[in-house]
Amino acid sequence: MEEVEENQEMKKVQQNPSSSEEEEEEELELGLSLGAKKFTSCNATSSKPTCRILTAKDFHPAGVGGPTSSASSSSSSVGSGGGKRAKPGPASPDGAGGSSQPPSSQMVVGWPPVKQFRMNSLFNLSREHPDQNSTKNSNATPAPNGEKTKEKEHIKEEEKKLGSRTTPFVKVKMDGDPIGRKIDLCALASYNALASALELMFQNPGLVSSSITKLKLLEESSEYKLTYEDKEGDWMLVGDVPWRMFVDTVKRLRIMRHCDDHALKPKFCSSNLSNKLLR
Amino acid sequence: MKVQSAMFYFPEEVIEHIFSFLTHHPDRNTVSTVCKAWYKIERLSRCEVFVGNCYAIRPDRAAARFPGLRSLTLKGKPHFADFDLVPPDWGGLAGPWIEAMARSCPNLEELRMKRMVVSDESLELLVHAFPNFKALVLVSCEGFSTDGLAAVARSCKSLRELDLQENEIEDRGPRWLNSFPDMCTSLVSLNFACLKGEVNLKSLERLVCRSPNLKCLRLNRAVPVETLAKIMNQCPNLEDLGTGSLLADQFSEAYVSLISALQKCKKLRSLSGFWDASPLCLLAVYPICANLTGLNLSYAPTVQGQDFINLIQHCVKLLRLWVLDSVGDKGLAVVASACKELQELRVFPSDLFAAGPATVTEEGLVAISTGCPKLNSLLYFCHSMTNSALITVSKNCPNFTRFRLCILEPRKPDPATNEPLDEGFGAVVKTCKNLRRFSISGLLTDQVFYYIGKYAKALEMLSIAFAGDTDQGMTYVLNGCKNLRKLEIRDCPFGDGALLADVTKYETMRSLWMSSCDISLRGCKALATKMPSLNVEIINEWEAEMEENLNNGVAEVISNNNNKHINNGNDERKVEKLYVYRTVGGPRTDAPDFVWTL
Repeated sequence: MEEVEENQEMKKVQQNPSSSEEEEEEELELGLSLGAKKFTSCNATSSKPTCRILTAKDFHPAGVGGPTSSASSSSSSVGSGGGKRAKPGPASPDGAGGSSQPPSSQMVVGWPPVKQFRMNSLFNLSREHPDQNSTKNSNATPAPNGEKTKEKEHIKEEEKKLGSRTTPFVKVKMDGDPIGRKIDLCALASYNALASALELMFQNPGLVSSSITKLKLLEESSEYKLTYEDKEGDWMLVGDVPWRMFVDTVKRLRIMRHCDDHALKPKFCSSNLSNKLLR
Repeated sequence: MKVQSAMFYFPEEVIEHIFSFLTHHPDRNTVSTVCKAWYKIERLSRCEVFVGNCYAIRPDRAAARFPGLRSLTLKGKPHFADFDLVPPDWGGLAGPWIEAMARSCPNLEELRMKRMVVSDESLELLVHAFPNFKALVLVSCEGFSTDGLAAVARSCKSLRELDLQENEIEDRGPRWLNSFPDMCTSLVSLNFACLKGEVNLKSLERLVCRSPNLKCLRLNRAVPVETLAKIMNQCPNLEDLGTGSLLADQFSEAYVSLISALQKCKKLRSLSGFWDASPLCLLAVYPICANLTGLNLSYAPTVQGQDFINLIQHCVKLLRLWVLDSVGDKGLAVVASACKELQELRVFPSDLFAAGPATVTEEGLVAISTGCPKLNSLLYFCHSMTNSALITVSKNCPNFTRFRLCILEPRKPDPATNEPLDEGFGAVVKTCKNLRRFSISGLLTDQVFYYIGKYAKALEMLSIAFAGDTDQGMTYVLNGCKNLRKLEIRDCPFGDGALLADVTKYETMRSLWMSSCDISLRGCKALATKMPSLNVEIINEWEAEMEENLNNGVAEVISNNNNKHINNGNDERKVEKLYVYRTVGGPRTDAPDFVWTL
């Protein structure tokens, strides 16, 4: 089965004989690019085979199922097809996410296509009843008031974790990577955990990104800078405020690729941006 | 000729009377285009207006055209806003519409809005500007709080309907329920299921007591069984009930009271809610199951396994069922054997964070299609699907009008054959001649679009994600689907060639959405130039990138009447998100920074 999949992957890649060289060039792209797989050297208008768009490979970064997406690194062989569903692909690592039903599809923004309202509700429900998915419990007769107050306390605790957030998810985008993702802040307890999770999420050994080391995101010297947009719309460097405060105020995350401090001035405002637009 | 001259001699009142039989708004739109006289008669007599895209026309113009307006339906943000693909503050503001109506349409009685941003101030204005206001329906809206609800409750003299579906409402306390004046006895429908906070239970009971016409009542999770029982005893004529929290102890007074109350409700046809439902409370529901036509368990992860089976097997008249996939193929098999009249089924994913043990597969769907041949509307989330299952399903149920299948893992092929799912989805469009809405997923090549273009002649809305190989795919759809109104695409390899293949097509459609595809700024600009009757909007969520471009001297921005044009020579840049829609209202005046109208 794996063989067949690899052939499919190969077919796609073969249509782009120059893919590997192109990938290096795209590293330098800024801005509104589809990024990784765009080929500026070829005729950009010919859309088809030369433009290799996201294949399943892109959804299976290495070591998926790390500290992100809550509990479920145990998302195991269960689910249709179990092991064979994890696409190895020519360039992806061995083992790693090999046999697990990858939760990576849930890290992509807007996927699965479930209304935000429903997602948030279910999220809150599952937080309260962590063993919902185990069947049975038909015989459990819940005690009335005792259960209820305990539940309410549990809810309050979870709410405290979230602070004033309505949803635990934040969008994350890395420069040069076309896929926007989302990360579950509730599943993380510290900046280190966040950095590790992001590293796993965006790591793609196919790219020439040898500078990815542990805690790349929090190190000054790294090529990457992790920034976030806070409630007021300002873009700040991650790591300056206590974790809890950060969780409360972060709206979205961005991994910047250059040592470019333009956007990182403290209190950089979107109003500055508007002023620049109106000349 | 003869008919034309005959109509000419009819007094206006007669023509108006004839028009009054036309309730379908497209029909009314059509007659208004026949001649000036008919346009005038039609617009003055029109009572209901449906605006599928709030930016397709300026609010002032709509209000001025239909001064007799009594019912207005508005839709705001693009559909993919539901999935967080549209940044906050994008737009869809209700304020301008309510203000325009306040100036020109004093007879407004009903307002229905979907995916719009409504402020508390707008709600205040709403209830003060329209003395006859009767019904407010808000679906997937945001921007308001319980204070706004209080304003509605307080000031509406004859409020009949307050229906809040899946809105994000800021909770400012339970006071709002107290705001219904004592003399308000006109309520027919009240739905506050989406409210997250506490409600004043005594106020709720009193309100229900003085609302003899109440037919539909949907409570939120904060309402306990005790209150539910009291309420049910007051409304034996209830037809549609959304329970609160269904947690109760077997021997409690509340539980016993609930059972007897439910048995008195002979007219109950639709049930929803079921939060925290304990198996015992479910037992209380069994006696009324036989008459149920609608059942929504999609917010009730506690109802699964044998509990679900025990419940559903009584629901022999069920037409509409919404469940979580935790009921499993086994649960669906029971549905198939019990609910022979089923027309609509929605199966939502229960665990969005992992592949849980008991979820549904293609087997469940096949079982449903075998047992419920009347099925015409489907929304199904699953982990995998096969071509043969889809072929079987379409053979069993040729009456689909809405078919939405979401395989949770993008680009997943048929696990049995490892092939794309082109043939399976192709079979659906070939056999279901009345298909109006279609969402596809899994591994798909251009071939599926060939089928869609060739066979899906009635198709009005198509949603595509992670599918296709080349521009040809999208082109098949644009060329073939004559009735296409909404096309939404994400993460597909369609580029400028596809976008520009048939630009006049977009004038026949309500809107086009493309995100994370392969289109460039140049292509979008070309579209905007060729089709001035369209708004071609680009959304750049990650505007900091644009800022960087500015700082690097790459971009030069010219501002012109709130339209921002980006001229920097590099038109080959790929566009993240594109939203194109036909409009007579010109470019948006309320577009935020990150929306660029070309």
